[in-house]
Amino acid sequence: MGYRQRALLGAAALALFASTATAQEHVRWNEDGTVDLMLGPDYDDAVITTTREELGTLFGPDEKPFEGVEISITVNASGAKGGISGPLHAFRPVWQELSGGRLNVVELPFGEHYTKMMLDLRNGTGQYDAFMVGAFWYGDIAPAGYGFPIDELMASDEYPQWTYDSMPPALRTLHHWGETPYGVLNDADGQVLYYRKDALTDPEHQEAFKAEYGYDLPVPPETWQQLLDIARYFNGKNWDDKDAEPDSGMVLHLKVGEQGHYHFQSLSASFAVTPGDKVDQYHNVYWFDPTDMTPLINSPGHVRALEFLQELHETGPAAQVGWSLGEAWDYFLRGKSVFVFSWGDVGSLCQDTSRSKIQGVCAASILPVSEEYYDHESGEFVKAEDRAPVGNTTGGSWHGVISNFSANPEATYSMLALMAIKPVSLWNAQHGWTGVDPGYSYQFIQPEGEATIEEYEKAGWHPEDVKTYTQAYYDTFYADTMLAYLRIPGSFEYWDILDKNLSSAMSGEKSAKEALDDTATSWEQITDRIGRDSQLENYQAAIGYEG
Amino acid sequence: MSWTSRIRFVFLLPAVIWVLAFTVFPLGYSLYLAFFKIESRVEVTRERVPVLDEQGEPVLLSSGKPRMQNVVHKTQVTTSEFVGLFNFERLVGDPQVATAIRVTAIFVLVAVPVELALGMLLALLFNQKLLARPMLRTVMILPIFATPLAVGYLFFTIFYEEGGPLGFLGIPFLSNPDWALFSVILVDVWQWTPFCFLVFLAALQGMPDELFEAARIDGASNIDLLTRVILPLLQPTILIVLLLRLAEALKLFDVPFALTGGGPGVATQSYSFLAFRVGLRYFDVGYASAMAYVLLITVMIIVTLFFRRLRETYG
Amino acid sequence: MRYAVLSLIAIVIAMIFLFPFYWALSTSLRNPIETFTVAGLGIPWVDFQPTFDNWISQLATAESRRAMANSTTIAISASVLALILGTPAAYALARFGFRRIPNRDITIWFLSQRVLPPVATVIPFYLVMRTLGLLDTHLALILINATFVLPFVVVIVRQTFLDLPVELEEAAFVDGAGHFTSFWRIALPLAMPAIAATGLIMFAFAWNEFLFAITIASQEAITIPVQMAGAVDTRGVQFWFMAVRAMIAMVPPVLIALLAQRFIVRGLTLGAVKG
Repeated sequence: MGYRQRALLGAAALALFASTATAQEHVRWNEDGTVDLMLGPDYDDAVITTTREELGTLFGPDEKPFEGVEISITVNASGAKGGISGPLHAFRPVWQELSGGRLNVVELPFGEHYTKMMLDLRNGTGQYDAFMVGAFWYGDIAPAGYGFPIDELMASDEYPQWTYDSMPPALRTLHHWGETPYGVLNDADGQVLYYRKDALTDPEHQEAFKAEYGYDLPVPPETWQQLLDIARYFNGKNWDDKDAEPDSGMVLHLKVGEQGHYHFQSLSASFAVTPGDKVDQYHNVYWFDPTDMTPLINSPGHVRALEFLQELHETGPAAQVGWSLGEAWDYFLRGKSVFVFSWGDVGSLCQDTSRSKIQGVCAASILPVSEEYYDHESGEFVKAEDRAPVGNTTGGSWHGVISNFSANPEATYSMLALMAIKPVSLWNAQHGWTGVDPGYSYQFIQPEGEATIEEYEKAGWHPEDVKTYTQAYYDTFYADTMLAYLRIPGSFEYWDILDKNLSSAMSGEKSAKEALDDTATSWEQITDRIGRDSQLENYQAAIGYEG
Repeated sequence: MSWTSRIRFVFLLPAVIWVLAFTVFPLGYSLYLAFFKIESRVEVTRERVPVLDEQGEPVLLSSGKPRMQNVVHKTQVTTSEFVGLFNFERLVGDPQVATAIRVTAIFVLVAVPVELALGMLLALLFNQKLLARPMLRTVMILPIFATPLAVGYLFFTIFYEEGGPLGFLGIPFLSNPDWALFSVILVDVWQWTPFCFLVFLAALQGMPDELFEAARIDGASNIDLLTRVILPLLQPTILIVLLLRLAEALKLFDVPFALTGGGPGVATQSYSFLAFRVGLRYFDVGYASAMAYVLLITVMIIVTLFFRRLRETYG
Repeated sequence: MRYAVLSLIAIVIAMIFLFPFYWALSTSLRNPIETFTVAGLGIPWVDFQPTFDNWISQLATAESRRAMANSTTIAISASVLALILGTPAAYALARFGFRRIPNRDITIWFLSQRVLPPVATVIPFYLVMRTLGLLDTHLALILINATFVLPFVVVIVRQTFLDLPVELEEAAFVDGAGHFTSFWRIALPLAMPAIAATGLIMFAFAWNEFLFAITIASQEAITIPVQMAGAVDTRGVQFWFMAVRAMIAMVPPVLIALLAQRFIVRGLTLGAVKG
């Protein structure tokens, strides 16, 4: 063989070797039965280790169980390093290598996602195999039979293994409709309170506060009324020296059509929900009367909560009426407000120095409670000292639901389940950009959960911040009294009306009572239009009504 | 070859048929949607069947088991119920509709005259040989062609109250309901005054100099010149610009969508925005269609008012 | 003196109208944390340290490139289609006599299509496209956009033909040419500059279209405005990306407008006013 031929052969062999190497660059099957999932240079060459059992019997070193299969999953558009869509991009090459299939990540603008999904389902187009849904969409998906139940797939050992056992009960309900499971574990949403530890623990401020208000500054505040006092104290003073402008007490993201109404939901929970042992006509209900679908949204408890929110609004910048998450969070992250109450993203954004100036002093706690709540049965307000906190699962808790029109539910499930296995889910929770917030037992720090502070620190978290952060979420998800979640057909419309009226109240166009009364009136019309009996049935199923 | 040959239909008809198919037909469909309550559902049943090869034999996996595939059976169940004027009656009592009409009306009645007046003022001002004028003409083209949606988002950063470029004014551009509507108007004025300016300037340039000279010789003052000579001569142009701006302004959608989301509250929820929301977010298709029809009729009335003027222009 | 004052005013006005473009550029060059807090007038290098990260990240993604490709394809195809359908119709309305319905009424009928509120036809269009299996396809948006700009073409180009002396074509008849030949060989070439300019303006309108694009497209056929709306995610508007996308969106129509400058006035007033 001549020199040239040898060189050619060598080059061909090298190319072949290289191509095999590149073709196998995301999954490594180890001798000891573990499997390394490698995300590649785009994701800092992260490696997540799992076991063969955990991956399921369908996957194996040369198995391509879904070769030639192409699936589409819709998700809120946030890009390859953005919330909820990021993990889909990150794990796509891993899944494609394991399965031999192809995944289309269909990013849809947040406002359009629900619309596109509904158009697809109602018309049976079946263009998409799964949707990363917000939990409040279940009312439009499950009762109509548009979701694919995953109980059989979950029970099989062929697919990546995960379980609902690690979920707090309130979250678990959100992934089911009645007894049927539809949702694959992913994100866990709830609102917690974030506060500036340095400001609240400053001895000078503590002294001045006590002088002005007559009691010790609680760190963190346990009641909303205490929080309002603190916010009022700090508002208008330049207590943060990062800039020369005065700062605020609280900042809210009230922009209409976005996520402003969630503030009201979380805050009003402890004003308007009557605690009790069961979910019956008067206890543990928030949206409608479970016996006849009369809206409860304008009950005295709700109205008082809205009036309180209006007062709280005044301790923040007036512009926040038109702010959505980005602007409000930015304000807090720049150090301009003492408090914000919002989702887990804030905690992880605090750690991102390209966005935040407050790493290390960004503490979290469960939301305060109201000193009084409304008793629906007696029709009176009840003053309660030392109340147990009220939790919430406010938000989307975005997770995958398979379309009942999908021709490849198994392949789709295998992708969703891959992201749900413990090591992957833990990795997602630790890396804030994924938009996946902690809510499952292995994500909480010991002793409540199984994770350690060191793991979070490695992912870039300041140890002080992450301790309070995971504790806050643990408390929020396991509280005895929870804000019920609305998941009936037309939830979107009900919430949109509420949102618009809330915004009118916050901008001063309507009084709190007017806004909520108008909401109740519109809601009655919607209920009648959709069908009162079917709505009642769905509502009872959604909240776990026990009569 | 005469100008009444049959071939004229060959030239004309493709466009006409296209418009009929793509405009008149959907409008008719829309009317149907407004008069009926349409419930559309899909019934799904699934089964797993073995994959068969060309000979009709089941394909086996390496384990010996047959390869299965999913077959999805879909049946669309549509019920349509004639509801007569129900959707139109709803319009009358709906506070959101009333607000949307008010918002759109205020917008149109403020923005359009301002644009016309400002455009005219600028055109009169610069209707003379100025070195800067070609530069100005070129610059003024840009806002007209800027993507309205992008403009909406951009102005959000400009109106940002806590430190944006206009923050020093201390005006609650986006957090106060009345100012928010003003902000939407401001954006529209920014985008469309140039259009009025360019058109009026072109029309003014088209007027012969002798006219002005003759008037001056007769002792006309500037004001007289303006009101007795220029404006009457420009009347056709003014009316065309008015019609075009009116029609476009009534369609207001992109800017509130991007700038305020219709808020605060519903202070900037324009009529088209509401119809869009009702139809494509709440899926109350009949109601949205009824809403859209009312807007359509309004626009048609306006066009009819201008009809005679249009005939003269295009006669 | 008066001259100088006017020139100054002209410059000030130009600056006012250019400011948003400048601000978009400035925002696109800033770090996210500085979006709302930049000092002074946000002049790059003077008030802050510019970064090209936002631009790189936006241009490098497959989604951006697809959106740009889609917008280009759809806008060009829609304009061309509208020109093909509309130019003969314009010629017919300019030259031939229609008796049943007079020419000017037909012209006004075309014109009235322009004032149709898009929201009135959005849902039927969606349903029709779904039935035809054309959802999320380029074809659907091309057809829809062509429909929207067609009235412009008919009315504007008609005016252009009217401005051409009819004697030229009549001379051709004498030489034995038919209608189509005289149209194709005489009228059309003479009107071509105006037709081209019209086409460019139609391109800009199709490029900027948002309502239908967001309804019909979900993945394959996403255009730039739709992708811009996608910069709004669950965390709110990411203005640093938005500014980049806004600039990308605005550049082609603005460039086109500059190219077709002379024709703008006539184009925008549908021929009613000569530019």
